[in-house]
Amino acid sequence: MPLTNTAPPAGNAAATDAVIRARGVTKIFGGSPALQGLDLEVHPGECVGLLGPNGAGKSTFIGCLYGVVLRSGGDLEVFGFDPAADSRSIKRRLGVVPQENALDEELTVVENMQLYARFGGLGRDEALPRITELLEHMSLDHKRDATIRTLSGGMKRRLAFVRALLSDPALLILDEPTTGLDPAVRHLLWEKVLSFRKAGKTVLVTTHYMHEAELLCDRIVILNRGTAVGAGTPKGLIDKEAPGYVGIFPAGSEGNLRAAMDPDWQLFHQGHQCCVRAPRIEDLIVLQQNAGLPALQLRPSNLEDVYLKLTGMELDADE
Amino acid sequence: MNELLTSLRLAWHVVARNWIVYRKDFLANISPTLADPALMMTALGFGLSPFIGQIQGLSYAQYLAPGMIATTALFTAFFECSYGFYVRMTFESVFKAMLTTPIGVREVVIGEFLWVFIRAGLMGGGVGLVLLVMGLLPNPWAVFVFPFIAGLLAVPCGAIGLLAAAKVRNINQFQTVYSFIIAPIYFLSGIFFPLADRPILGVIVQISPFYHGVKLLQMCAWGRWTVGEVLTQIVILLAFSLVLGLWASRKIQAKLTT
Ligand SMILES: Nc1ncnc2c1ncn2[C@@H]1O[C@H](COP(=O)(O)OP(=O)(O)OP(=O)(O)O)[C@@H](O)[C@H]1O
Ligand SMILES: [Mg+2]
Repeated sequence: MPLTNTAPPAGNAAATDAVIRARGVTKIFGGSPALQGLDLEVHPGECVGLLGPNGAGKSTFIGCLYGVVLRSGGDLEVFGFDPAADSRSIKRRLGVVPQENALDEELTVVENMQLYARFGGLGRDEALPRITELLEHMSLDHKRDATIRTLSGGMKRRLAFVRALLSDPALLILDEPTTGLDPAVRHLLWEKVLSFRKAGKTVLVTTHYMHEAELLCDRIVILNRGTAVGAGTPKGLIDKEAPGYVGIFPAGSEGNLRAAMDPDWQLFHQGHQCCVRAPRIEDLIVLQQNAGLPALQLRPSNLEDVYLKLTGMELDADE
Repeated sequence: MNELLTSLRLAWHVVARNWIVYRKDFLANISPTLADPALMMTALGFGLSPFIGQIQGLSYAQYLAPGMIATTALFTAFFECSYGFYVRMTFESVFKAMLTTPIGVREVVIGEFLWVFIRAGLMGGGVGLVLLVMGLLPNPWAVFVFPFIAGLLAVPCGAIGLLAAAKVRNINQFQTVYSFIIAPIYFLSGIFFPLADRPILGVIVQISPFYHGVKLLQMCAWGRWTVGEVLTQIVILLAFSLVLGLWASRKIQAKLTT
């Protein structure tokens, strides 16, 4: 059963219209499972975020989508094609920013992009204007004749974006697009993703940054040990899994908190800190007074709370 | 049919990529493949010739000459497909990005073969011209077929390189492949001494594609050929190319997809 909480965009209600359709996808690497019955659907024009701890299977799933990882079981369709049978038809409509940039370090920026334009089927005449346009978009135009080896990490990442966009794909897959980038570059890339979406295109993005996921994604799927453990809009997920407000208290205050709080509220750990989730912020203000403990922070629940809860990293204080 | 043409066009892009990278370091790249045969010719051919006398009615330098084209083809193909491919696959992650485009593993492999065919063909042809100028070709017309033979010989040798690239667990292990496979077939395939009166070795070398390429080059360079023999050797080389090529392709497929 797919974990889709929101309806697909109007006009694309037919299930066959899904850009990506995964049903019970499994992948076993020499005995150890990386994907265990993953269900996921991505509809045209949507941006779906794939969140999950290191090793959850995000990159493995992405590999399955264009046939470099051969799934061990389950059904998978991308643009209606099975990647195990016809990956080329999929790859013609696909742009990928892989977790590793994998650029040709010895080539210049333009040389490398020209090659990839050709791989993607662009003619010589179309390629150069397209490359120039995209390099300008990514503020890389001044580096067009630089050897890739001499670029900074952020520039290489932007170039990987240029490469993914060369053949004007209908689906963009981003595997941790902004890891290790400075805030300015991150904002630039977000802007590009959002404008790509405005053009009605589809995006699948993995990230470890909750803020990024909230900003970019219509829908989020949380992956843990190869299965989807939660899915929905960012807000929907928060309302469903962790509604209310969170008070963060110093380590070692469980006793006082438990004595003073409503038993229906949740007490849990995030790292060393003690947290209490209550329906209203006023509840937490009163709790501070009753427990005689000032909170380090009072805030609305956020996606990170949901993530930590669903991936089992929000440790229940009762255990 | 359409599918095949698409595949070939994409494989050609892989060739183009290798060429663009190759020409960046052109001198360093062509030096060993040209310098080695030149040194060998000087040291063994001219150095030893006066002491050896005639082999099968040829001076030793003339005897050795076609082997130099085979040398170029073998080393160009083997090193490109072993170390070269391994570095592209492992350290440069070239294929990680390439395989997100319409290019598939099959095109990568076909592209590698096309690339070594062309490269070895050009280099072998170049060595042939040098031999011609040095007056070491009893049959000067052979220079026209050398590129083709060198290219054809490079394909099975490249396949051995690709098989090694798929097999090794780190780059140092190529040394083992070189010592136990490439060096023996190189030194024992009749380049340096005739195999005619060595019955056992003469039979063993039949299983090496390199030997058949050497035979073909020698027949052409010395002008001692019959149509039947030439066709036989070509068919054998093509068969080796096909079998080793498909085998290598499967191994690389398994290596580049998981
Ligand atoms: N080629 C491979 N061979 C064997 N195991 C693999 C291979 N690729 C991935 N795995 C295993 O599959 C699991 C999922 O890995 P994957 O790379 O998909 O995780 P991820 O969610 O992308 O993690 P990260 O956030 O660290 O990128 C891990 O346990 C990993 O060790
Ligand atoms: Mg990953």
